[in-house]
Amino acid sequence: MSIKTDPNLKKELREFGVTNVDNCYHCGNCTATCPLSTSDNSFPRKMMKYVQMGLKDKIKASPEPWLCYYCGDCSVKCPRGAEPGENMMAIRRYLTSLYDWTGFSKKFYTSEKFEYLAIGTVGLIVGLILILFHGTPDMEHAKLNSVWPAHIVEIGDVLMGGVLAFLLLSNTWRCISFILGDLKSKIPMGIYISQAKELIIHFLTQKKFAECEDRMPWFVHLMIMTGYATVFLLVVGFLAGGIHFIGLYDERLMFQRDIIYPLYHPIRLLGYYSTFALFYGVTYAMIGRLKKSKPSYKFSHSTDWMFLILLQLTTLTGILIHVTRLVDLPMPTYALYVIHMMVCIPMLVLEVPFAKWAHLAYRPVAIYLTKVKAAYVAQAGSSETAE
Amino acid sequence: MAEADTKSILVVGSGMSGMTAAIEAAEAGYNVYLIEKNPYLGGRVAQLYHYFPKLCSPNCGLEINFRRIKSNPRIHAYTLAEVESVSGTEGNFSVKVKVSPRYVNEKCTACGTCAESCETEIENKFNYGMDKTKAAYLPYNMAFPMRYVIDPSFAQTAEAQKVKDSCKYDAIDLNMQEKSIDLQVASVVWATGWQPYDASKLDSYDFNNQPDVISNVMMERLAAVNGPTKGKIVKPSDGEAPQSVAFVQCAGSRDENHLPYCSGICCLASLKQATYVREQYPDAKIYFFYIDIRATDQLEDFYNKAKAETNIEFVKGKVAKIQKGPDGKPLMRVEDTTKESLRELTADLVVLATGMQPNLAITPAPADIKYDEYGFIAQNGTPAGMYAAGCASSPGNVTEVVSDGTGIALKAVQSVVRRAN
Repeated sequence: MSIKTDPNLKKELREFGVTNVDNCYHCGNCTATCPLSTSDNSFPRKMMKYVQMGLKDKIKASPEPWLCYYCGDCSVKCPRGAEPGENMMAIRRYLTSLYDWTGFSKKFYTSEKFEYLAIGTVGLIVGLILILFHGTPDMEHAKLNSVWPAHIVEIGDVLMGGVLAFLLLSNTWRCISFILGDLKSKIPMGIYISQAKELIIHFLTQKKFAECEDRMPWFVHLMIMTGYATVFLLVVGFLAGGIHFIGLYDERLMFQRDIIYPLYHPIRLLGYYSTFALFYGVTYAMIGRLKKSKPSYKFSHSTDWMFLILLQLTTLTGILIHVTRLVDLPMPTYALYVIHMMVCIPMLVLEVPFAKWAHLAYRPVAIYLTKVKAAYVAQAGSSETAE
Repeated sequence: MAEADTKSILVVGSGMSGMTAAIEAAEAGYNVYLIEKNPYLGGRVAQLYHYFPKLCSPNCGLEINFRRIKSNPRIHAYTLAEVESVSGTEGNFSVKVKVSPRYVNEKCTACGTCAESCETEIENKFNYGMDKTKAAYLPYNMAFPMRYVIDPSFAQTAEAQKVKDSCKYDAIDLNMQEKSIDLQVASVVWATGWQPYDASKLDSYDFNNQPDVISNVMMERLAAVNGPTKGKIVKPSDGEAPQSVAFVQCAGSRDENHLPYCSGICCLASLKQATYVREQYPDAKIYFFYIDIRATDQLEDFYNKAKAETNIEFVKGKVAKIQKGPDGKPLMRVEDTTKESLRELTADLVVLATGMQPNLAITPAPADIKYDEYGFIAQNGTPAGMYAAGCASSPGNVTEVVSDGTGIALKAVQSVVRRAN
């Protein structure tokens, strides 16, 4: 098998945040420092080598970047300041762009202008739609459903969810194909199924992350992730109390509701939890990035900031809408709702299939595939010895 | 008299380079003051078991030098002495030297009665704290001057009086005071040497909590006949023979978190120490962890010879962690970078190859000297009439610093001659 090298790779990867990679003198200290690195999947030094040598195909097929949760110990202990942790992060951005067949992700990561333009455009479209299409607003009481009825917004939600799912899943399929290569069809279905629980466990708990020595980042990540997942479920699944247009819904579970639930109501409590978790996690990360308080906060790509800002704005406008509804101010409620949607929809549409949010699929899938591969190798090995 | 004084040369530090510079200048006919902060001459080399590549004891070389000093009236050596200040210009420096009390005068015959009668023990600095010595002690068995020392922390105790009374030669003087000496010299040689990088700063290696993790300088003392174990290489934790010994190279060297530079000598020093292990334990397993082996010129032969041995394994990778393993032995985690595989290995004894840190990086000289980013005296960093020799200016091995000392002696002499003209 020939090995192709791309002399321009390093330059290309700089746009994704690769830095100081030439400082690396391959002592292996980073790999041996990392509590998650193993002989079968050793990192990050291997990835540093691939970048230095322009081994694009090797990078494309590597699950290792997704096995790293960026505790930053490798960078702290690096004798050369080669920033292996940040380079792993940059490679994850690069991989996200490679997995994306639309080419949108690459533009998003490599051009700040494009990034801002894309977010602005989607935001404006959302704002226009909300302003152009609405019911008769109740100006006496804050009643969102009088302006944008939940069961209609829900249709938009489901449509958006479907498109996002299609894009993310098709990109994930490419991720799987790149990582497994020829093995994809060789590995028997039984192995895929037997390892499936790993996929679910890692998706839900990020338990590998907790193996890092500093557990704070894992906790912050868990807060953002559970906060986000909860509110995502509330919006996409329960905005109108279920999927209204197929009749599968319950008014008592509606998230967008004109009469505010009592404090103990599970929907209200879940709303509060996700608000708190997101606000806590995002604020922690923002302060961290400003103060560079952790190795993983030392470098910030423009998309890292954009991600946090959009999340924080979504949370803050969400809190404000809740307040204006509680004190029953109709016009501020409607105005804030438009802003809220103009922030959170671009975040979803752009970040889920093309940028940072996409890792919610790639990371557990990569971990799963390494287990699948290991199980396959073990089986192949044992059948060989049986022969 | 003043004329004669300004024809003198001051050499600060009596290690290999300073001693050489002093002797060469004195033998060329110039008056030399040799200032040493330890109670003995010889510096770090006195603490070595063997030189490389010849693998012989440094004692014969040191003895020759000591004899040259003893027989040369032009060398005025001061031990327990430190330079406090230097002023003036080339050809006319005024130097203030502080001499700490030794509490033992020249009547001492090194009979050892004082040590026998002394019960208080102090850390043995000569053996890097691996054992204790009496508070009335001879720094080591070949010390020059061959004279006992009383530790200042002990001198004022009631027991010290008893020790004093035990001396038949009236050689102990507990009232000895710190002295200040003023010197007029034409040139100054800074041969202030180095110290091993403090291994306790290597937090990933947990040096302070693992007695069987030692530094390379401690290994020299373990192997030396006049060392804490009389030359037997054993595990400090239990005194047992090691079945396996690991050499961890670049322990804090070439590392921007510690010493960013390569000291250049540690690879060969560890390869040399591998011969110590092999000499005593023909069957012991030896591991050698390295980033790169820096064996230049003929020294590569030494490396090739070691590689040809069967029971030594070279692993290319920097040891990232040393922790107490489940069996209590030091457990090392390293990537074998040639195979991209992670390895966890235990060894009975782990030797950290710590690098050379210039003493001046910790306490700068009391003179207008420019240092490089690592604390070595910079090239052309000394004012006219001052010179850097040996490891004060760059890390080096014994051969290198001896030739450096010889060359610097000529520069120091030129300062005197310029003045005389």
